Amino acid sequence: MPRLLATQSHVVHGYVGNKAATFPLQCLGWDVDCCNSVQFSNHTGYGMDRVFGNITEERDLDQLLTGVLGNFPHDYEALLSGYLPKKESVSCMGRHYVAYKKNNPGSVWLMDPVMGDEGQLYVDKDVIFEYKKLALSQDSEVDIITPNHFELEIMYGEKIDTTEQLRTAFQKLHKTVPVVIVTSCDPKMFGDSEYVYCVASMRGQSPMVLRVPLIKSYFTGVGDLFSALLLDRIYKLLSSSNTSLKLEDQVNDVLNVIQNVLKMTLNYAPNNHTAKIGNPMDMKDAELRIIESRDFYNSNTTPVVKRDFIYRKL
Amino acid sequence: MTKLKEPVEFEEISRPKTRTRRVLSIQSHVVHGYVGNKAATFPLQYRSWDVDALNTVQFSNHPGYGSFSGFRSKAGDIDDILEKGLLNGLHMKYDAVMIGYLPCVESLKITGQRIGALCRQDPQIKWILDPVLGDNGKLYVAEEIVPIYKKILQNSGVFLVTPNQFEMEILTDVKIDSLDALWTSFEQFHQKYPKVDKIVVTSLEFPVSQEHAERYIYSACYDTTATSGRINYFKVPKIDAHFSGSGDLFNALLLDLVLPVDYTESIDLPNTLWTVLLLVDKILRRTLQLSYSQDPSTKSSVVINDLKLIQCQELLDPSCQIEEPFNAIKMPQESIK
Repeated sequence: MPRLLATQSHVVHGYVGNKAATFPLQCLGWDVDCCNSVQFSNHTGYGMDRVFGNITEERDLDQLLTGVLGNFPHDYEALLSGYLPKKESVSCMGRHYVAYKKNNPGSVWLMDPVMGDEGQLYVDKDVIFEYKKLALSQDSEVDIITPNHFELEIMYGEKIDTTEQLRTAFQKLHKTVPVVIVTSCDPKMFGDSEYVYCVASMRGQSPMVLRVPLIKSYFTGVGDLFSALLLDRIYKLLSSSNTSLKLEDQVNDVLNVIQNVLKMTLNYAPNNHTAKIGNPMDMKDAELRIIESRDFYNSNTTPVVKRDFIYRKL
Repeated sequence: MTKLKEPVEFEEISRPKTRTRRVLSIQSHVVHGYVGNKAATFPLQYRSWDVDALNTVQFSNHPGYGSFSGFRSKAGDIDDILEKGLLNGLHMKYDAVMIGYLPCVESLKITGQRIGALCRQDPQIKWILDPVLGDNGKLYVAEEIVPIYKKILQNSGVFLVTPNQFEMEILTDVKIDSLDALWTSFEQFHQKYPKVDKIVVTSLEFPVSQEHAERYIYSACYDTTATSGRINYFKVPKIDAHFSGSGDLFNALLLDLVLPVDYTESIDLPNTLWTVLLLVDKILRRTLQLSYSQDPSTKSSVVINDLKLIQCQELLDPSCQIEEPFNAIKMPQESIK
């Protein structure tokens, strides 16, 4: 039975961070050990003045991870890291995960370098340096990263406006990270803005573009759900003896699940497509319907017909 | 470049048949393993509950492992999240609030008051209280916690309280060493805490006369709102092992079954308890089996640190039918004296 250690945020109400990742992974058979980097009443999209709770201080996080990895030094097949609020928490997680990976080279680490979106940083600026160090140093232990377009530019160090630049960025990142999945590439690169574009690239293979019809609403936690499901599918890809399985098929699988979860979520929203950031009642309606989507997570048993979102080679 | 594919149509996805119920669960959190909120959350989510898990501590693992690390949430943080965040900020409307382990006097006091006020304001909200004090004759909270639980139970309209044998003894000042004593204890409880609706004593053991006699775990309940006015008890064969988190799992499943999706259904507490007992028994047996097969060295040990909840998920599905073990005994109903 696979076991996974996930270090990211916890919200009491709603589904982002560990709350978005845990239940789907559990339904897929994972024992999920959640190390919470914060405990907040709700996510920050409700408005910063409406977020209550506390950040796990570096000292506490360090002790917690020391306890977990000291008592269970070989228990994890996979490591997941997501939103961490401060430079200290990123470096603390990084230190422990790197040490674990060195002792357990067979394990898989997916790092979601959560920094911001659409040109805006939502972590401290010095977090950037820590993520770059973890992913880009010569002896990087990170196996998979899942940046969005903005985060990819930060990791790469330059703006990316063309597919040519995107290819170059992959080349650079693959020197140290085997798998890079860009969760939402600027549609301008591909033309049709009615789609969300996801580009999957594995070292030594040509990157593939997948695209999903855009759902115009404000959802939070989609990225966290994506990285959790992706880790499951890539773990299965790597541990499967079936060599015909491809990365893009696994990503396609994940995008199918996400689509279904979003459709389920919309089904409950009273005013489709109109959620406004900062309005708590709107935000509540836009919380992902993670529980109601229980039957969608496993592609072999999902009641919904699978779609093909694979678009083209990059 | 490949040809553009036709855009896919926006297909409707229908809602599940079961209404999603909402619970606020205030309990401990462990990174590894299944106790407190970690034991309650997955089973409840799997049974269509939105679980707002407010963690009162965050530990690496439960103390049964021998060593652990972590920290307690500050009383102020717990209260801010509850009061300023969930209740006044988000105006959350819960079907139920479940309170388990709270690490300090201060946080238990405040949380007790808040939830008490909330339930008075909206009697639809059902309060499930696990008075976490200790087990097997040992107190594992500070002495000062005891009177706070007593006060909560005296003053608040708690819907369901789920003490174990030891906690029932402390709350009623009756030593429970026989069925007769259990009756007395229930009477005492009802006298001391008349505002409490339903009482389930989750696990009881009585001294057995012969050395090799089969040992049973008892469970008993009393529903003050039922017209029968009876105490019911059940017994299932004891599994010779100690499972961390089994009580928390028990409470979560009891919550699910005692609050049916449709409010109008009246609850048959004894039958509900019986169903929960069988389900928990099945999960514990499966856990034991899986623990053995995984690591032969655990065979000699009777301590099971982690429930195999994920591996038992098909048992957690509400559609799963649990057969009665052949030697489980559903006792005839007994009247309260």
